[in-house]
Amino acid sequence: MEKIKTFIHHLFIPHEENNFRAKSLHTDFLTVYLVIAFLMMIAFKQGNIHNVLGFATDISVDKLYQLTNEQRQKNNLSSLVLSSVLSLAAQRKAENMFQENYWSHYSPDGKTPWDFILGVGYKYEYAGENLAKNFLFSNGVVDAWMNSTAHRDNLLKKEYTEVGFAIVNGILNGEQTTLVVQEFGKPMVAGETTQNIPTISETKPIVEKKPEQIVAQKIIQPKINPLNFIFNLNIIFIIFLLLALAFDFYFASKFNIIRIAGKNTVHILFIVFILIGLFISAIGTII
Amino acid sequence: MAKHLYFNLRKEFKNHLFDYLLFITAGMFFLILLNIFRGQRTIEFCVLVSFAFFYIIWGVYHHIINETLHLKIVVEYILIAFIMIFLLKIIILP
Repeated sequence: MEKIKTFIHHLFIPHEENNFRAKSLHTDFLTVYLVIAFLMMIAFKQGNIHNVLGFATDISVDKLYQLTNEQRQKNNLSSLVLSSVLSLAAQRKAENMFQENYWSHYSPDGKTPWDFILGVGYKYEYAGENLAKNFLFSNGVVDAWMNSTAHRDNLLKKEYTEVGFAIVNGILNGEQTTLVVQEFGKPMVAGETTQNIPTISETKPIVEKKPEQIVAQKIIQPKINPLNFIFNLNIIFIIFLLLALAFDFYFASKFNIIRIAGKNTVHILFIVFILIGLFISAIGTII
Repeated sequence: MAKHLYFNLRKEFKNHLFDYLLFITAGMFFLILLNIFRGQRTIEFCVLVSFAFFYIIWGVYHHIINETLHLKIVVEYILIAFIMIFLLKIIILP
C-alpha cells in the first residue's frame, strides 16, 4: 500500500526525487504516451480494414430507427414501421451519391429522391428524405435533424407511416465518408394517385411496374464498436493528462517551485481546446 | 487552500497577458474553423495540425521572450502537440 502511495506521489506531485516535476509529465513519460497514441492510431487503422459496416462510425440502423420513433412518440405521433423497401431505396440513393460524387438531395443528372423511392417499386402517397454525413454516433445524427427545422418537420410529419435507412461508407470528393440516408413514406392505397411530396412541388407519375422482390437487408453490427471504445479511451487519456498537469501546477504553486519546464497553463488550455474539438468533430453535416 | 493557486494564476496571466490572449484567440479560431468545416475530415485534420503547430511556435516564442528556452521545453511542447494530433486523427481520419 505504501509503495502505491509513493508511486502516485512520485507520478503526480513535484518534489526533489522527481526533479520537482510530476513524473507523469517527464519527457520519457510523454514519449511513452506518444508511442501509445501512435500505436492506437495504427492498430485502429489496421483493424478497420476488415470491418465492413460503418467502421468510421458507431451508427446503426437499429439505433436510428429507435431514436426516430422515440422523437415521434415524444411528440404524440405514431411510430414508423421499418420498411425494407424504403431501406433499399435509401441504399441505392447512397450508392448513387458515391458513384456520381455529389452531396445533395438531387443528383447532377437530375435524379430526385422520389426517383429512388419509385425505382424500388414503392408507390407513395407521401415521401421525404433526410441526409447526414460523417457523424460518429447515431444520437448525433438524430439530434442534428431535430435541431434543424426542415429536417425536424420531416421527421415529425404525421402523414408518414414507414421509414427506411441506409448507412454506407465510400469515397466522396476524395474523402472517406459515411453517409446516412433516411427515407420516409406512406404507401399509396390501391386506386389512389400520388398526392403529396414534401419539399418538392412537382408530382411524379406512378411507375407502373411490378414491385421488385426485396430481400431484407442483413445488418451486421460488431458487438463492441471500436470507434466508441477508442473515443472513450481518448477522453480518459486526455483527462489523465489534464489531471497530471493540474496537480503539477497546483503543487508547484503551493511549494513555490521554480524549474525548467513548459507552461502548464498553456498545456491545459491547449488540451481543453482539443477536447472541445473532439466533440465538434463527432458532429457531421446534414442536408 | 487555493489562495496560492489563484495568486500564481493571476500573476501568470497578468505578466503574459498578450501571449495568453493570442493563444486563446487562436484556440477560438481553431474551434470556429472546426465548426465551419464540420464533416469535411481532411480540412478538419489540417485545422488541427495548424493549431498544434501554432501551439509549438507559441511555446518557443513565449520562452524566448522570457529567456527560459531550453531544448527540453521545446521537446515537451512537440510531444504534447503530437500526442493530441495522433489522438484526434483516430477520430477525424480513422
